[in-house]
Amino acid sequence: MKILVIEDEQGLRENITNYLNVDGNICESCSALNPALQKLSDYDYDCVLLDIGLPDGDGFGVLEYLRTNQKNEAVLIISARNSLDDKLKGLNVGADDYLTKPFHLAELKARLMAVYRRKALNTNNKLVFNEISIDVLGRTVEVNETAIVLTRKEYDMLLYFIANKGKVISKNAIAEHLWGDEMDMHDNFDFIYTHIKNLRRKLLDAGGKDYLTSIYGLGYKFIG
Amino acid sequence: MKLSAHYTRTSIYITLSVLLIGAVIYYFAINYIAQQQLNEGLQQQLTEAEEYVRSSNQNPQQYDLDKDHAVFIRTNEQELQKRFFDTIYFNPKEQRKEAGRAVEDLVKLKDTNYKVIITISRAGQKYLIEIIIIITLALLAGLLLVLFIINKYFLNSLWKPFQLTLKEIKQFNIADVNQFKGKASKVDEFAELNEAIREMSLRVTYDYLNLKQFTENASHEMMTPLAVVTTKLDTLIQDETLSVEQLAQITDIYSSINKSSRLNQSLLLLAKLENKLITDEVPISLEVVLPAKMLQFQELMQTKDLSFKSNLQPRQVLANKYLIDILLNNLFSNAIRHNNPGGVISIELTEDQLCIKNTGAGHPLDEHLIFERFQKGKESQGTGLGLMLVKNICQHYGCTISYQYESGWHAFILSFKKTVADQGLS
Repeated sequence: MKILVIEDEQGLRENITNYLNVDGNICESCSALNPALQKLSDYDYDCVLLDIGLPDGDGFGVLEYLRTNQKNEAVLIISARNSLDDKLKGLNVGADDYLTKPFHLAELKARLMAVYRRKALNTNNKLVFNEISIDVLGRTVEVNETAIVLTRKEYDMLLYFIANKGKVISKNAIAEHLWGDEMDMHDNFDFIYTHIKNLRRKLLDAGGKDYLTSIYGLGYKFIG
Repeated sequence: MKLSAHYTRTSIYITLSVLLIGAVIYYFAINYIAQQQLNEGLQQQLTEAEEYVRSSNQNPQQYDLDKDHAVFIRTNEQELQKRFFDTIYFNPKEQRKEAGRAVEDLVKLKDTNYKVIITISRAGQKYLIEIIIIITLALLAGLLLVLFIINKYFLNSLWKPFQLTLKEIKQFNIADVNQFKGKASKVDEFAELNEAIREMSLRVTYDYLNLKQFTENASHEMMTPLAVVTTKLDTLIQDETLSVEQLAQITDIYSSINKSSRLNQSLLLLAKLENKLITDEVPISLEVVLPAKMLQFQELMQTKDLSFKSNLQPRQVLANKYLIDILLNNLFSNAIRHNNPGGVISIELTEDQLCIKNTGAGHPLDEHLIFERFQKGKESQGTGLGLMLVKNICQHYGCTISYQYESGWHAFILSFKKTVADQGLS
């Protein structure tokens, strides 16, 4: 997957690029609107990560450019502005999803994979990871060609883990992904454990490998 | 009371008193002048009478002037001060008693002294004064009527531009794109007023936009470093050499960042609510949203072994989805956070109100403080803005939120706005 990250904050840009630059992904980055437009006109990307507030102009300019030039990049907006009109404006002019700062890298990756999958859905709606095969349209999961029944949260969790395979994910990030960041978690994430435990058991029961490990009270890792 | 009424009242009072005082002075002046004239007439007749008596040497008793009444009385007095006085006498011509004016003096004929009294009628003078009073009163009444009519119709139309300006000011909304226009007025004062308001509204709108811009920028500036910290931590935890202790520290940092970002978002939302910047209202069926919320909070409930009890009647409101979500999240979070282990949360939805009750501490909270900013319990891990947000969201839609305590139950009651159309949280 070829990704272009357009973000003016250096620290953020580097972390995102490093996090995404795995599994054969090619992640490029730029820090302003004009170089971004240059890159977009020179190359084709699968996904564009776009910060709305750029030093030399509004990030919506990128969406405008993609639309007028009929380019097919999936766009995920990252913005500090959470005002609803921004959100609507962004989605109306061709963004595929919207992520408000601050966000977890795991969340970013999962969203990116989701918008990419949606764009590429015509060719392939099966997500295969070793013995696990997920039909993202029908929301069904098979392990070694045997269907397993997952709850909505377990299914979301599985997709989330596979998108971030090989990475340690904090409980914070998992909770925000599954319950939304507006819900006050009371800093009590014990209830995540139940869902993880059930998912793990279902995968094991169907003959899958044990991918999930706990990282000392901080979070979990799906070994890729 | 309206300005025109004030003006009418004052002007009528002043006119009335000036006219009344004027009428009194006028009355006395006319009276005085008339009396002077009568006196002059009497004096003339007196002189004539004296001359006549002196020249003719006749008995004064026989003397009579054609119109007037003269009386000669023999007297022993040697000195008599001439004096004029009012009297009542019998007018032989009119055959009735009349008010008259008389003069009295001493006339000497040979050695005999006569007191002479000449009386003339005062009726003419009285009649004149009566006419003058009637005309004055009629004028007074006419003037009052004219004043009243002028004030009522003319003044009101004079104030029309002011009323229009006032109406426009009342409708002025800072967030609105429509600027204050102000109808052109030929009256300098009103034109000046409109100009001043126009300038003020422009300045206020400009400042407001500036502030809005500032708020957005502040949010941007604050969220970006938070995002950097979060992503740095996300990268840091990938390091497999971290000790358990270090991971525990990182967990705490995550929580704090989470809290800062929620605090920041709440503050922004409050600012937005206070500026009435949130629109996008859609019909929301609360009886559908509430069970979904209950499901969302299921896991949190289980950790404290809490249970739900609900009685939901259909109730649709017209509101922003996002705001309703925040409102319910805060009420639910509080009901869970401040509950006893094994406690109950009761939710009742009726046509008039939504009541969320929870078991909890055995004493009531201060209902004046709980809806204020940064008022939270010592044990609370929240941002201290939750109920403030709830209150502001309610106010935004014209509803009221109140708190009640009854034997261990803490109840938050949201009373929907009563409207004719019966729509909306409104």
